[in-house]
Amino acid sequence: MKKIYIVFGIAVFVLAFSMCHKAADFPDSGYDERMSGGEATVLDESSKAFTIAINGLSARDARVHDIGDQTFDQAFVAPPSPIFTGLGPVYNNISCVNCHRNDGEGIPTAGFSNSGLLFRISQPGTDAHGGPLAVPEYGGQIQDQAVLGAKPEANINIAYTDMPVTYPDGTVVTLRKPNYTLQNMYLPITGSYMLSPRLAPPMVGLGLLENVPEQTILSFVDAGDTNGDGITGKANYVYDVYTKKQEIGKFGLKANTPTLLTQIATAYQQDMGVTSYVQPVESAYGQQQMHGVAGDAHPELADSLLNYVLYYVKTLAVPARRDVTDADVKTGQLIFNQINCSGCHRPTMRTGVDVTMPEISNQRIQPFTDLLLHDMGEGLADNRPDFLATGTEWRTQPLWGIGLLQKTTGTAYYLHDGRARTLEEAILWHDGEAKKSKQQFLQLSSGERAKLLKFLGSL
Amino acid sequence: MKNTIFICALGIATITASCHKATQNPSATENFATLEQTVINDFANNTALPQYANMVSAAVALNSAVTTLHSATTDANLQTAQAAWKTLRTGWEQCEGFLIGPVEANDYDPNTDTWPTDKTQLDSLLASNNALQAGDIAVLPQSLRGYHPLEYMLFGVGGSRTAASLTQKQKQYMVSLAADMLNNNIQPLYQSWVSAPTNYAQQVITAGKGSAAYTKRLDFFLDITGDNGMAGICGEVGSEKMYEPFINKDSTITESPYSDNTLLDFKNNIIGAQNVYLGLNGGKGLRDLVALQNKSLDNKIQAQFAAAISAFSNITVRYEQAIFTQRVQVQQLMDQLAALKDILENDLTDFLKQYVKD
Repeated sequence: MKKIYIVFGIAVFVLAFSMCHKAADFPDSGYDERMSGGEATVLDESSKAFTIAINGLSARDARVHDIGDQTFDQAFVAPPSPIFTGLGPVYNNISCVNCHRNDGEGIPTAGFSNSGLLFRISQPGTDAHGGPLAVPEYGGQIQDQAVLGAKPEANINIAYTDMPVTYPDGTVVTLRKPNYTLQNMYLPITGSYMLSPRLAPPMVGLGLLENVPEQTILSFVDAGDTNGDGITGKANYVYDVYTKKQEIGKFGLKANTPTLLTQIATAYQQDMGVTSYVQPVESAYGQQQMHGVAGDAHPELADSLLNYVLYYVKTLAVPARRDVTDADVKTGQLIFNQINCSGCHRPTMRTGVDVTMPEISNQRIQPFTDLLLHDMGEGLADNRPDFLATGTEWRTQPLWGIGLLQKTTGTAYYLHDGRARTLEEAILWHDGEAKKSKQQFLQLSSGERAKLLKFLGSL
Repeated sequence: MKNTIFICALGIATITASCHKATQNPSATENFATLEQTVINDFANNTALPQYANMVSAAVALNSAVTTLHSATTDANLQTAQAAWKTLRTGWEQCEGFLIGPVEANDYDPNTDTWPTDKTQLDSLLASNNALQAGDIAVLPQSLRGYHPLEYMLFGVGGSRTAASLTQKQKQYMVSLAADMLNNNIQPLYQSWVSAPTNYAQQVITAGKGSAAYTKRLDFFLDITGDNGMAGICGEVGSEKMYEPFINKDSTITESPYSDNTLLDFKNNIIGAQNVYLGLNGGKGLRDLVALQNKSLDNKIQAQFAAAISAFSNITVRYEQAIFTQRVQVQQLMDQLAALKDILENDLTDFLKQYVKD
């Protein structure tokens, strides 16, 4: 009888503890590797792969998404106009999609109707909130287009110098180093100023990234480099113009914007001169450019339209990976991890719970980023601080969808200013915290390099 | 007796087995693959290229008509120029049935067909000291280039334009707009299909055989069927360009209001998609490929194209008016377009994925 009690006791004990055990994630092998965005993934590899809504939106939500889509594609015109009013007086382009081609990236030229490169400008010092200090009569961004009657603030001259890199095996790859200068400035700037180039990034998976919890991002920080891999990582904390709080930065190439709402509204305001409830003041306000140009009612973008564009951006699906069972791709993935590209380009993480948007809530995603700032070395430096980001730091660019850029853009360009014409060039520009990985990449055989690039092409 | 039953059973089994139809007939597969290549070749040579070439001649005609109007500003010459605009517009709207390759990659579409026209800046432009030569037009925002500013100049609000009302500046602007369309967009679009470096017709023809644009033939077929192709244009017309003015009861957001061409634009878009499906100029089209494996699907697609296109004729007033006075007919047309898009996006796409294996 005693024995039965003991056996029963042990059984209860085991049972109780095993039941208390919280279910962990499935092992990585339990997931379909193609599903980069979890449930928010779309199986499409055409030039429209970035433009597709996540599956399962209700008819009403799909309608909101569609209106956001149309607004994203819509060309805006100078005020006063009964429709789509508010362009200018100074601007960079006339619609979102003119820069974010097929919802992908931009073309690294400035001043043309299909240009996707813009320049931030500031003077030494910080503003009241710790951000970049605006330049009088210019603000924080060079608008290189203007409606008739106003002048573009300046034109950008872009010149490239060849910079050959030789692999130990003798292969030579020629990088192009850009030099940016302002021309035809509408007013002189007294004192020194700093320029930072920013290429319009792809719209892939932004809703999912916004949903990554702050503590997840912070868990990637290795401030003292305790594991000795040369990678530390730092979160940017930035002032949000809408919430009027310091918040963790997730968007922008220096993690200088906290939310998609602020990102989108600021793009409308700064890039197109279109004001909204989040950014109600013209980018040219207080500058000479405002004079002599007719204004109209503010805000220029209806609240609902801004909200619909936000919803559109949040509900864009992530294109699925291709060729995940290909032997070369699998080897390339191993190399990616072995030379510690994955130290910053983190393959997987989980989004937070958001019951209002189940499709992007609690998803296991494969963005290949840690959303942190890293020192990328002098070669890539813009030498223009942006809140906590120093002049050499950039946010790890997510790599999902990178293999489709050739299709979505027509010609793909890489890095923050599109200086790299191939993924290989982009890797070779890496330095600073990525120096170890870059050096190991140089040591790979040409076959191994090709496999790594093939893996990147599958993303 | 037992033996007899056994023998009978064996016999029946043999007969049944021999009656079993072969699941895969090798020659049928071969025929299908051969036909795939024919359909691809004919799309490039008989459907796409002739239509782009027609656009070039229509743009040349428009240029000369506008130039004539500039030198001899009569109402007759104005009408000739208006007719030339409509002819070119028809060609373009039909080519929108296949927005694949250079037309989007090189921005020929947004350079010529951006909407709405920026009227505030247009007025500033005409009042400015801009010389309005063709080179000056090419650097303007896209909302001041292409079909719609030219339409606004040629037809005026409510089609009210008269030759006498045209100013010298307006005429110069028209001449340069037409030249910008021909020389910087329509001619280069055609050239990008027939010559290096893009030579897109060749990229289409070599789909699945070394083409940079299409690594598989299936990629090409999906491109002309999906968002860049037939289903895409049905969606753009049915659920955007027709739907938004209709649901908002707003006649200020229709596409070609000055020339009264809005409804015809829509119809030509769908005819353009139908051309892709049926093939043009005696060439084979997707229909031949579908009919080879699934005749009833081919019938269904052809019937739905026909139903959608004939539903346009139920609208008997201009579209800007129909959204108020013929809402039932407009809704029926949009329903037909939605059904067409659904068949192309689902049935046809599934068919292609099932049968196109290279």
